[in-house]
This record gives sequence, C-alpha cells and structure tokens, in this order.
Amino acid sequence: MAELKTPQELGTDRIGKLLIRYAIPAMIAMLASSLYNIVDRAFIGHGVGSMALSGLAVTFPLMNLSAALGSMVGVGSGTMISLKLGQKDYDSAQMLLGNSVTLNILIGVIFGILSLVFINPILTLFGATEVTIGYAREYMVIILAGNAFTHLYLGINCILRAAGHPNKAMVATIGTVLLNTFLDYLFIMVFHWGIKGAAIATVISQVLAFAWQCYQLSDKSELIHLKKGTYRLHGNLVRNMLTIGLSPCLMNVAACFVVLLINRGLLKYGSDVAIGAYSIINSIGFMIVMMVMGFNQAMQPIAGYNYGARQMNRVLKVLYLTMFFGTCVTTLGFAIAEFMPGACIRIFTNDAELTAIARNGMQINFLIFPLVGSQMVIGNFFQSIGMPGKSILMSLSRQLLLLIPFLIILPRHYGINGIWYSMPASDILSVILGFSLLIPQVRKLKKLS
Amino acid sequence: MDKHYCICIGRKFCSGGRNVAALVADKLGVRMYDRDLLKKASQNTGFSEKFFDEADEEKTRKGLRSLFMGHLGSNGLANNYLSNESIFNMQSEAIRHIHEQEDCVFIGRCSDYVLRDSDRLLNVFIAATADDRVARVCRHAGEGMTPSKALSLIEDIDRKRASYYNYFTGRTWGDPANYDICLNSTVLGYEKCADMIVALAKERLGI
Repeated sequence: MAELKTPQELGTDRIGKLLIRYAIPAMIAMLASSLYNIVDRAFIGHGVGSMALSGLAVTFPLMNLSAALGSMVGVGSGTMISLKLGQKDYDSAQMLLGNSVTLNILIGVIFGILSLVFINPILTLFGATEVTIGYAREYMVIILAGNAFTHLYLGINCILRAAGHPNKAMVATIGTVLLNTFLDYLFIMVFHWGIKGAAIATVISQVLAFAWQCYQLSDKSELIHLKKGTYRLHGNLVRNMLTIGLSPCLMNVAACFVVLLINRGLLKYGSDVAIGAYSIINSIGFMIVMMVMGFNQAMQPIAGYNYGARQMNRVLKVLYLTMFFGTCVTTLGFAIAEFMPGACIRIFTNDAELTAIARNGMQINFLIFPLVGSQMVIGNFFQSIGMPGKSILMSLSRQLLLLIPFLIILPRHYGINGIWYSMPASDILSVILGFSLLIPQVRKLKKLS
Repeated sequence: MDKHYCICIGRKFCSGGRNVAALVADKLGVRMYDRDLLKKASQNTGFSEKFFDEADEEKTRKGLRSLFMGHLGSNGLANNYLSNESIFNMQSEAIRHIHEQEDCVFIGRCSDYVLRDSDRLLNVFIAATADDRVARVCRHAGEGMTPSKALSLIEDIDRKRASYYNYFTGRTWGDPANYDICLNSTVLGYEKCADMIVALAKERLGI
C-alpha cells in the first residue's frame, strides 16, 4: 500500500530492526485507541460512581455495533482508494472518498435514529437494569446523536492511512484521545455533568477531529481531496466497498454478541456491579491485546513480502521474533493482573465491592495470558502469508466458537466464577489449536527453504 | 504520442479470443502476452509465480467463503504484499513496462484499463454464440464433458472474469462502450476478425 514504497528493504534488512521500526507507529496508534476507553471509564468510575461504570458497560455492545458498521465503510473505502491510487486513477479515488462520506452519513444517521427509537429494549437486552439504565441512556442518547460524526471520523482516518498519510491519521487519533481526556476532566470533575459529560466530551472531540480531517482533505494540491460532485452514491462503488468491508464488520458484530452474552451472564449470576467489573478487566485486557496487535501489524508486510519472495528462513525468523515479543507483552499483562490487580483497578474506582469483584475476575481472566500472545501472533501470521481461512478460524475460535459454549455451560455449575473461567478455558483450547495448525505449516516452510 | 502501440483484447470464455489475438500478433509481427508471459514478466518483483496464478482473473471466491474470507487477506488495516490488490498492482506495472518497451497484443488482465491513458491503444472485445462456445469446450475437454456441464462452466468463468474486471476497474466487463470494436467470432470467423482488427489498428494507431 501507499506507505510502503520500498519493499526491497523487507527482503534484505535485519528482521529485528525492521520489526521494531514497523511496530512503533502501529503500537502508538493501538495504544491511543485503547487509552480512549480507559480514560472514559476512569473518569466515570471516579467522578460519577460505580453504578455509572456499569451503565457505561452495558452500552458497549451497541457502541461496538456502531463501530462495526463504521469499519465496514472505512476498511472498504480505504482498500479501494489505495488500489485506485496505485493505478494513478485519481478520479475514481476522489469519487470513492466522496461516496464514502455520503455512505458514512447515511449509515451513521440511520443507525443513530433506529437505536434512539429502540433505546430501552436494546439496553435491557444488553444487560441494563433499573439501576443502570438511567446512566446508560443518558450516555447513549448523546453518543447516538453524534453517531454520524463517529462514523465519519473513523472512516476518514482509514482513508488517510490508505492514501499514504498514516501520520495524519495518527495525529487525529492521538489528538482525539488528548482532547477527550481534557474535556472529560472539565465536564465531569469541574462542571459535574456526570456521565453525560463523558458523552459530550466524546462527541465534541470526534467532531473537532473530523473538522481537522476535512481541513487536511480540502487541500486541492493533494492527490485526493473533498470535491463537489463526488458525493452522489454510485451503485457499483458502494457494492465494492461494502463487500470488502463485510468481513471485518462481521468480526465486530461477533465480538458484540459475545459481550452481550457475558454481560447477561454476569447479571444473572452476579449483579450490576459485576458488569462494571468486567468493563474494568476488559479495558486492561484490551490494552494488552492492542499492543500485541501492533506487533502483528508490523509482522504482516515483513512476513508477506518474504513469503512471496520465497525467503522462508526470514519468514520463520520474523514469526518467532513476533511470537517472542507478543509473549513478553502478554506475560507482562499476566504479571500485573496476578500480582498487582489493585493498582490497575484503582485507576477506575475506589469502591470496595467493585474492587473485590474486579480483582477476583481479573486474576482468573488473565491466567493463560502468557500463552495468548503467541496464539494471536499465529492467527495473524496465517493472514500475512495469504491464508485468511486459518487466520479467521483462529480469531473466531478464541473470541467466539470456543468461548460461547464455556460461557453457557460453566456458569451453570460455578456461578459467576464460571464466566470468568470461560475466558482462560477458551484461551487454552485456542492456543492448542493455534500450535496444531502452526507446526505442520512451519515444517512445510522449512522444506521449501 | 506513445512510442509503442498496444492492442488489448478482452474476450468471453472460449469465444476464440486467444486464437484471434494470436493471428493479429502474427500479422503485425509483434508479441502476444497472455497469462503465462505476463507471469514471467511480473517476476522482476521477486515474487514466485504461484501468487500471480492464484490471484488471476478466474480465481475469485464466491458465496459464503467470500463473505467470511473474501477480502480479509487485504483488510486495509494492515499492509499485505500477498493481497489480490497488491498482486494486481504488480501485474499492472508489468503491463505498463511491456507497453513502454515494445508493440504488443495483450489478452485480458484489465490491460485496457491499466493502459487507459495511452494514446496508441485499440480496445477489442471478442464474443461468440453460446452454441459455438459450448462446442469448443466439449472439443477441448474431451471425454466426460457434456453440453450442459460446458454451459455452466462457461457461465461460471464469465462471471468470474466479470467480477475481477469490474472490481479492479470500476467499469463493466463486456460493455460495448468500453471498446473500440466488438466482434462475434462465430459470425465472422477468426481470420476475418483478425483482419478487421489489423485494418482498424493500422488506421487508428499509425502503424
């Protein structure tokens, strides 16, 4: 893609050096997006209260669903635009940009309106109770009102990356996190607007980020810029964008379904507080996972290029090195969760009951984490050597296929601990699956080299 | 004006487009590039042939498989040198490179789109009647091929070519508006088709 103009270095430079150089920007972007969650939850936990944290947690499946639709357009248009730029077909790229803006507005507004109309049944389905629904609704109404901007901001960020401006996309991401943090502080701690303040902060920072992106894309000397006459939808462009974006979208929808199952299980076998506890654990887990994803993103071009060039020893080297780094990151997460869970939880809350539940959940949830790092790397490795089938099987297994049966069965026997134990249980099976897919593949690669 | 001319020939599956292209190349004394030659030409990218083969015009996924894994190999979130998109780009580079070096005839591979900015380009589309194409498939495939199987094979491959072309170019495959001349090889025969293309090429491309 546009940002990688010198593939030769991928075939010759030292693997370790390449991996680190590609990983740093990816990690920064990943960390920034996971910090967003942590900051929001921390301000709400401390500034509003532990019930508000649970109220926020039941909105996440809905937010995920919205993000899934946003990523569908973003990924689709990003891929198509980088293809057109590669062909120097600037008119089509321009048209795609315009079309994606229209599509984002359409989907964002329709999703926003539908969810607003059915807000109560939706939140109840996702695990809201009489105690938490007030918070959830207060937060979500504002977020949904700004939903089109969320889609636009995320979508254009994908396009900026695809159009060879990964740095601008990163500035937008980091800028949004910083702005959101500042506004969260202002609205929650100073103005005491409660959970509403967090929602307003989110919407304002995304609107401003979108305005900045528009400014960047209005420069007429740029290869692609926002232009009159490109906004009318074209059937075949829309179809192409949506087909490409469909698979990442489905993955996100699946993730949303799992959160729904977990939330409902926690409510059934625990309480509202347990849902809040899960959102704390989830934030920390998400940050660790995102850091591994950063390494994965860096591995992709290196492994892919060398695989294509038949340099199997380099392919294996980058695989092992990424697995090593991935394991280091998840082991660090494991150590923090097992030996100093209190310190993590204090970021979000001082509530004694919430802390106790979160501490227990966290210690169980992270049990297998040292092994999860390599599982994630293996899944991504298959994708980078052009085997998306195995890659999808890997990510679906850990987060969906193996997890759901445990989530249904274990709580019946062990109550709330059953839910916490489902996660390490599915982790361990998916690690076994990962290695049993990887080992024959490595043998094959060794034979080829 | 470009130094070299190029004739791009699109064709329905088993419409004799390749035979016509070979005759044209022969009459003009230039080389014809189809899948094999292009694959070789793409090799200065350092990639092995296998990937070009897998990403070629007739290899798109369909149905449920494409829903779940269609484009995940190239999901835009990460760079992937083995994605169909990047292989298409390498192939396009090869087409442009050949066009700069010599006069030639290209078969398929969206070459008409890739070279759209050239001013010495003739775009041709070859079709044939369904009966004729079925007969050709049966003749080439030998035993075990029935006319109904042949027909579904033809439909399948045409659909794949169309989706490949439409995806990468944003145009519609086989739409007469994309081509300078569309010929029916059943009606005209290969020789006559080739003669017409050569005559038009001489007139239009300043040969």
